[in-house]
Amino acid sequence: MAAIIEAEGLTKSYGSKRGIADVSFQVEEGEVFGFLGPNGAGKTTTIRLLMALLRADSGSGRIAGLDCWERSLEIKRLVGYMPGEPALDPNLTGGQILEYFAHLRGGVDQAYLKQLIKRFDLDTSRKFRQYSTGNKRKVVLIQAFMHRPRLLILDEPTSGLDPLNQQEFDHMVKEARDEGRTVFLSSHVLSEVEKTCTRVGIIRDGSLVRIGDVAEVKAIKRYEITITFANPISAETFKTVEGVIEAEALNHGHGVRLAMQGPADAVIKAAARYPVVSLTSYEPSLEDIFLRYYEANGQPAKEAGHVA
Amino acid sequence: MWLSSVFLKTLRDYRIAILGWGIGMGLVVVSPMASVSTLITTPEAREQLASLAANFAWNADVVAVTTIGGYATWKIGVFIFLIAIWPLLAGSRMLRGEEDRGSLDVLLSLPRPRMRVAVEKLAAMWTALLAMGLLIGLVVFAGGRKFGGEFGLGDALLFGLNLALVCAVFGSLALLISQFTQERGPAAGWTAGLLLLFIVLDMVRRVVSNSEWISRVSPIYYYNLSKPLVPGYGVNAGAMVFLLALAVLLGGAAVWLFARRDVGGTVPLPRWLRLPERTASRALPVRDWSLRSVYARGLGMIAMPTLWWTLGIAGFAGWMVFVVQLMEERLSSLLSSSPTMIDLIKNLGGGDAGVNAGFLSAMFFFLPLFLMAFAVTQVNGWSADEQDGRLELVLAAPQRRTWVLLGRFAALGTATVVIAVITLLASAAAAAAAGLNLDSGNLAAATLGMIPLGLLVAAIGYLAAGWLRTAADTGLLSFVLAAWFFISFIGPELSWPDSTLRLSAFYYYGTPLLHGLQLTSVLSVLGVTALALGVGTLRFSRKDIGV
Repeated sequence: MAAIIEAEGLTKSYGSKRGIADVSFQVEEGEVFGFLGPNGAGKTTTIRLLMALLRADSGSGRIAGLDCWERSLEIKRLVGYMPGEPALDPNLTGGQILEYFAHLRGGVDQAYLKQLIKRFDLDTSRKFRQYSTGNKRKVVLIQAFMHRPRLLILDEPTSGLDPLNQQEFDHMVKEARDEGRTVFLSSHVLSEVEKTCTRVGIIRDGSLVRIGDVAEVKAIKRYEITITFANPISAETFKTVEGVIEAEALNHGHGVRLAMQGPADAVIKAAARYPVVSLTSYEPSLEDIFLRYYEANGQPAKEAGHVA
Repeated sequence: MWLSSVFLKTLRDYRIAILGWGIGMGLVVVSPMASVSTLITTPEAREQLASLAANFAWNADVVAVTTIGGYATWKIGVFIFLIAIWPLLAGSRMLRGEEDRGSLDVLLSLPRPRMRVAVEKLAAMWTALLAMGLLIGLVVFAGGRKFGGEFGLGDALLFGLNLALVCAVFGSLALLISQFTQERGPAAGWTAGLLLLFIVLDMVRRVVSNSEWISRVSPIYYYNLSKPLVPGYGVNAGAMVFLLALAVLLGGAAVWLFARRDVGGTVPLPRWLRLPERTASRALPVRDWSLRSVYARGLGMIAMPTLWWTLGIAGFAGWMVFVVQLMEERLSSLLSSSPTMIDLIKNLGGGDAGVNAGFLSAMFFFLPLFLMAFAVTQVNGWSADEQDGRLELVLAAPQRRTWVLLGRFAALGTATVVIAVITLLASAAAAAAAGLNLDSGNLAAATLGMIPLGLLVAAIGYLAAGWLRTAADTGLLSFVLAAWFFISFIGPELSWPDSTLRLSAFYYYGTPLLHGLQLTSVLSVLGVTALALGVGTLRFSRKDIGV
């Protein structure tokens, strides 16, 4: 499939303050791409560059083959955008806001708009200032979806939504993907990305440190295996086994906890030589992987880079 | 140090306003001193000036108007409305504005009593007003020295204190009203309405005999009992103490109510005072005209302020046209005995025309000033929209940045045209009612001729918004406007060179009521407007949004 988003060496600074540096990635048409990073990592700056709200110091961004800055008008016809911090006229009702943006976009199907309002159970008669945080996000989310855009760019879309509405959002993302549309969403809610995305990019301190399939990112995980034996076994036995990074004795030698990276085949074979009572493997979530990239020592993961 | 308490932090937030408003309002008081100092050179001129001032007794008490201090006190009469704008806005946004932004939730989560937070904020506003009063006093004293005023530093400081006290009353009133409103805008609006009402109530005693009891209801009455700039008049300590007590009472009531209500909620009004609840419709407003484009939305946003400014500007013009006939005899007499007064009328009104037209022309000098002030307030809205992120989604829609800016500018332009046209109609109607024969072409030129000046200010504001944040943009525009006004108001009196006078936009407005439309001047203003708008648009189309 062709790339719908192409970022190449995107760089942006705010005077002496860091923005992003040399960010390059591609998002294929039809995929759901997760953009992960902690607060201040550069997620919103990247998104605002793609939306031509900021102008890059260097590098380029293209959406559907069009330069994000030079051809922004055509791009915006293709895109549904949800900012991270929605600010809208506080004196307009939700209904007025949606109608206003429907007019600015043109060609919005009113029946579909009403359907979206119903799905999110949004009271459109209240003024924007009177909405709770979650309801404000619903308004902005609906305006991003209402014209059935080819590409959705969503900055932390579920922040503030209750679980029911998060579920509804997940359904809508899946529907969009099934219809062949592309979703680019930023988040620091890793379980959300794990659930909805096919690929993920991790940004840290303004630089992209990893990009790949969700499954591939998980494959470079450091995971744990805990084995309980019938008789005491020295942890030293496993320290030299392929894939083991650390081995720690448990229960006075009756068990061992192994920090692993890579295939577990050698460990399984080594353990099979002893009477095993139980064996559990702890599957890391993206949260764990994510945290690993932001360890206190500040060192980027040594395997950082494109795996896709 | 400035962030060590709520009081100091709030005072720090007011620092620009203290300087700007204090010095600016001081200059407003000083400006009539400049004009009157050369106006009262002969006993005859003084007599006629006093006689003329009596015709404007509704504006303010006519006491020793032939002195520098007395004239300034009389001249700024209804300008108290202008001076009270800042405390009115500050009081309405002090707590309600923070609630709107949600920042009060965080502040009140600190281990500090709610009452104390409110008291510290209120005390900061009063302190800011005292500082403004001090600055006003110092500027007025300096002005008095320059133009030969008869009052001393103590008098000038008492004048500033009296102003600070009446401003504290209206700031506290706004704070109190904001406890009953869901938003800060209505609180400011209601307080402004009450301020206007109190000004009118104070006027009643000067227009209708034996009606002083009505005026006593108004805080403005007690403010006017002190006239420290008037030689020998002094201050009424009782009135000043009353204003202080009233400010404390209103502020105290506001704080007491705030400590007992829900944050984000309002103090419930008695049932008979509540507005009937509107049944909100969940239907989408598909046919709402104001949502159809950026321009239409801009018009929708500007409609209500336009209405109020139209009433003010058209009302002022209509009133001046209506009363000028009634003053003709005294004006003629004054002009015949006072060459300086003729100069003043010439400077502002222009030419050697008849009394009525000349005087009216001088009064019409204020119309573009008001329209430009309106433009400043609306440019503030544009700049704030960008700064607060409200343009982000609009610019994420398939709308060219250029058209977004021009759409909003066009809405403001439409509003200025509406104000000018209604001012024209009001003036024509007033002239017909008063039997005043005004050249209709010149009247049209005088009213419609202010449109380019309004557009000029708007264009400069849009241009500056490309680089400056809201407060700086509004401050810069206000300064430019004040500077232009000063150049045109005082410059001719001080015989400033023509090249200096040309720096003021008012120069290009000219004296259309007497001399009709000066096409070259209008085209010059429009040319500069187009240039500023063009550069502003170019800047906006290339800049980072919200940075």
